[in-house]
Amino acid sequence: MPTLPPPPRHPHPSLLKGALVGIGLLGLTLGCRPDGVSHFRVPKETAAPHPDHPGHAEETMPPQAAGPEPAGPAASARGPLKWSLPKGWSELPGDGMRFATFKTPVAGRLEATVVVLPGPAGGELANVNRWRGQITLPPIDEQALAAARVVLKTKAGAVNLYDFTNDGTKSRLVAGLISTPDGNTWFLKMSGDAAAAAKAKPDFMRILESLRLD
Amino acid sequence: MIKTLATRLWKFLKSFQLTIVLLALLMALVVLCTLAQVEMGTAGAVNAYMRSFFVWRQFPALPFPLPVFPGAALVGLLLTLNLIAKTLDIQRSWTKAGMWLVHSGLVILFAGEFVAGMMQVDTNMSIEVGQTVNYVQSYKNVELAVIDVTDPAFDEVYSVPDTLLSRRASIPVPGTPITLNVKRFYPNAELSNLPPGSPALATAGVGQGVAIVERPTVTADNDMNQTSVVVEPVAGGRSYGTWLASVAIGQPQTFTHEGRTYALTMRLRRQYLPYAFTLKQFRHDVYPGTDIPKNFSSLVQVVNPAQNESREVLIYMNQPLRYEGKTFYQASFGKNDTLSVLSVVENPGWLLPYVSCVLVSLGLLVHFAIVLRRSLKRRQDKKEG
Repeated sequence: MPTLPPPPRHPHPSLLKGALVGIGLLGLTLGCRPDGVSHFRVPKETAAPHPDHPGHAEETMPPQAAGPEPAGPAASARGPLKWSLPKGWSELPGDGMRFATFKTPVAGRLEATVVVLPGPAGGELANVNRWRGQITLPPIDEQALAAARVVLKTKAGAVNLYDFTNDGTKSRLVAGLISTPDGNTWFLKMSGDAAAAAKAKPDFMRILESLRLD
Repeated sequence: MIKTLATRLWKFLKSFQLTIVLLALLMALVVLCTLAQVEMGTAGAVNAYMRSFFVWRQFPALPFPLPVFPGAALVGLLLTLNLIAKTLDIQRSWTKAGMWLVHSGLVILFAGEFVAGMMQVDTNMSIEVGQTVNYVQSYKNVELAVIDVTDPAFDEVYSVPDTLLSRRASIPVPGTPITLNVKRFYPNAELSNLPPGSPALATAGVGQGVAIVERPTVTADNDMNQTSVVVEPVAGGRSYGTWLASVAIGQPQTFTHEGRTYALTMRLRRQYLPYAFTLKQFRHDVYPGTDIPKNFSSLVQVVNPAQNESREVLIYMNQPLRYEGKTFYQASFGKNDTLSVLSVVENPGWLLPYVSCVLVSLGLLVHFAIVLRRSLKRRQDKKEG
């Protein structure tokens, strides 16, 4: 019967050392990637020569092939929400995050604004509590939020409407929020003296009822 | 003493028990990583469990995180060393050639995963029908782009990565007279309209009407950090005010210094390419009479001036385009089938798993042939004897 030669049973420290040093160096090289300011000279961007198609929610592929949609909707995209103004009301162009300011014919301290923010903008409860804070009312919880909410059906979809009055400071806030299919959330808010707000509310409601998507 | 230590270490590295323990750890990591994906998202969980040397956990009582479990990078490294030690321990004779090949193939497989983990770059290209795009963008990392838009044909883009914004107070922008003084950096923030009478952090641009609240960072697949920065551009000793730039603000904000107009915008980090893709057609086919997807395909025109190349390529499911070191896969779509999203993967080690498979298969065949020969020889000897 043939016999196999005895297997060598001694370690090879030089080879092992080499491999260790190699792996270490590779790790160091990869770990120290430069992260400075980079410069590119690029041709000016051109937009796609076809109109945007608002109103179509992002679709995704089956999970195994899907990747996240890269860019979230930006506030600057503004979106397709439109409204009609009642008699005597006018609209001033927006400034900063404010999309528009309504000028009301009602006398007294009163402000009506439109703000559009990307995504859920922190959520409904946080925004409603922020508004309540503006007329020095304490925050509420989800349950009280649901109780305070009035849903208004419009051509643009459901508007969640809130009406809060602080009897102490005699101030009132009427506000509606609506999400548009482009992912933005619109806040239409009227706040000020309770008496002036009560007078202007029917007209403000007409604006909310006229909401539509163009 | 040192010799004894080295011998012990060598014995430990080549031990079969170490292999078993490491494989068990790897299995545990796969389970933990899968479970963590619910909360952390795929990329977050893979980074925390698979591409780290330790799994870190933040305990409420401690100000710093603690390592609680070995990460897959450490397990993989030890497994590779274990495999190398084991391979070197195999006798170097023709009778073991198959085993050598199999082990070398496995080492290359591990090296391939290491290269992918360290060097693979995942980006995407979002392109609308008729649009020409010459860049890919990151899924999560962002940049503050300072763009000199003065030239009517070209933009000079200076990209400041979020990692630099997060740690530097003053960032000179090379090639421009601008220095950016970073006042505040928010890895994730929530922007809302500023209540009347409240002070704003920004003194110029959109930020004057915005309240900013810092939020914990998110890693889930569908969540996006609204990274924001409050920054003061200074040029020629003059301050141009304090600006808020945020991923949540899409519109670039501009200021002019000595006749040159600069736009500031926070966006997903871009990597510009020396070639461009134009989306000519996007198709979303369904099975007749149903909404069940059958095929998604993007017909793109690849224009590469450096190669004097302009050709049409059809990218569809499981049929990616490999081009200049990048692989473009059909990944997603939207905007009523007018927007196509291509997933772009750059992995310098993409060939290694293929090489590994060939070596392992070859090694098993060689080993089988050697064992068969030996067995036949034994039978022959028995017959003759």
